[in-house]
Amino acid sequence: MIEPIQGSRCPACGLTVAPPTPYCPRDPVEMTPVELEGAGEIVSFTTLHSPPAGFRSSLHIALVLLEGGAQFICHGAETRGLRIGSPVAIEAVDDVYYFSHLGALDRARLFWRRAGRAGDRVHAITRSLAKRVWKGKERVSS
Amino acid sequence: MTRIGRRSESLPDLMADAAHAALRGAGLERPDAIVVAAMNPEEFVGDGNFASYVATHMGFAETPAIRIETATSSGAAAFYAGFAQIAAGLRRAVLVVGGEKMTHLDTPRVSELIGRSIDPYERSYGATMPALAGLVARALMARHGVAPRELAQVAVKNHANALRNPYAHFRRAVSIDEVLDSRMVADPLRLLHCCPISDGAAAVVLTAARAAVRVAGIGQGTDTLAIRHRDALTSFRATRAAALAAFAMAGFGPERVDVAELHDAFTPFELISLEDLGLVPAGKAGRATLDGETALDGRLPVNPSGGLKARGHPLAATGLAQIVECAWQLTGRAEGRQVEARIALAQSIGGIATNNWVTLLEAA
Repeated sequence: MIEPIQGSRCPACGLTVAPPTPYCPRDPVEMTPVELEGAGEIVSFTTLHSPPAGFRSSLHIALVLLEGGAQFICHGAETRGLRIGSPVAIEAVDDVYYFSHLGALDRARLFWRRAGRAGDRVHAITRSLAKRVWKGKERVSS
Repeated sequence: MTRIGRRSESLPDLMADAAHAALRGAGLERPDAIVVAAMNPEEFVGDGNFASYVATHMGFAETPAIRIETATSSGAAAFYAGFAQIAAGLRRAVLVVGGEKMTHLDTPRVSELIGRSIDPYERSYGATMPALAGLVARALMARHGVAPRELAQVAVKNHANALRNPYAHFRRAVSIDEVLDSRMVADPLRLLHCCPISDGAAAVVLTAARAAVRVAGIGQGTDTLAIRHRDALTSFRATRAAALAAFAMAGFGPERVDVAELHDAFTPFELISLEDLGLVPAGKAGRATLDGETALDGRLPVNPSGGLKARGHPLAATGLAQIVECAWQLTGRAEGRQVEARIALAQSIGGIATNNWVTLLEAA
């Protein structure tokens, strides 16, 4: 499942961060809330073999560039086959975010959601064109 | 400065030793003021009000003392604070002393305390300094084609240098294969890519009078606390900004630098720093290191002391230990590892490059 992730964007420099911060780290201005898609690509990742107390060993940590521009820190169940640039989905389990390989199914879902949105747009344009034609006819007939 | 390593003395004892040695070296009986650097004595050794404690402990209860902290670059920041007092004409002679003691605690506890300098959200995901350095290392290798042998060579070179430094924590050579076979810490970083946990202290006396070494420039550079808020993992804005300011103050460029002490807490940091400081062209630091350009007998010797990697990294002492090494190199007192130098550069990284310093020293 691809979940939305809450973030914020700086109205001055455009920096987008997740999770949201009240102020931009680089400009003393208040941030605007934004919702980001829980999918993106791996910027870098590491496996910590002696993690701090309270974390399981080995701990996979990744930095992910979300679609929408924010970089996001998350955990992962494994890093086999993972590379910098790999597409990943982000999922929250008990309020902790995990990355997982963006599988064929997730990619298809993402594609259809976008296609759906694009489809809606095409549909709306067609409808408005049809309406104009119809109204035009109305106008002529009235 | 004191010998760096596993020390049984208390932190104030180590700092007093370093301070008195520096005062003797400067022929100064009593400084006008003291600047103390310690990153976290409250938690490492359980002592607070540390400027007064250290000043009193070394016999200067009536000398004004302040404490400075910028995480792992505290020593360099304290040097700046001392320099600023003299440059402003407020003092004639300032003692700057930094130290840290950590080896009496177990490694997970030390790692946790050092990790307090990381953004709290990233920390809540288990990010430690080695973890963030691991992210940096992987990006450096993937995006800039740095080879495993190039990263390992930084450790090999710095261990070889430390072999010639009686103050160093590690006085043993390591080979590229030993580095590449050492235990994985934060993939792709292995144990021998990382600096040790060390105790020690270093001190410097700054005076308004003419001395054998002159401060040519000092620059501070900063960046976001969180690494996820940065544009790039493989270059540190804080180093670039500090270098720009230091070179502008000095009135010369990186081509004039003869020797450098860089903050190699993790071997990729030395390569990144070489490029951020303009000492090596972008993308060439790994190759230059493997080719011996930064070796003791190379074009630009880097970390003749052994660096954080092998001299050791007693946090707040480190920035000052670098400056002491630079001063010794400039005045022909770096026995066994002496290079030809008129201008020396020291670069200190605070946290995960959130608060960095570049100090330029010139032989008078």
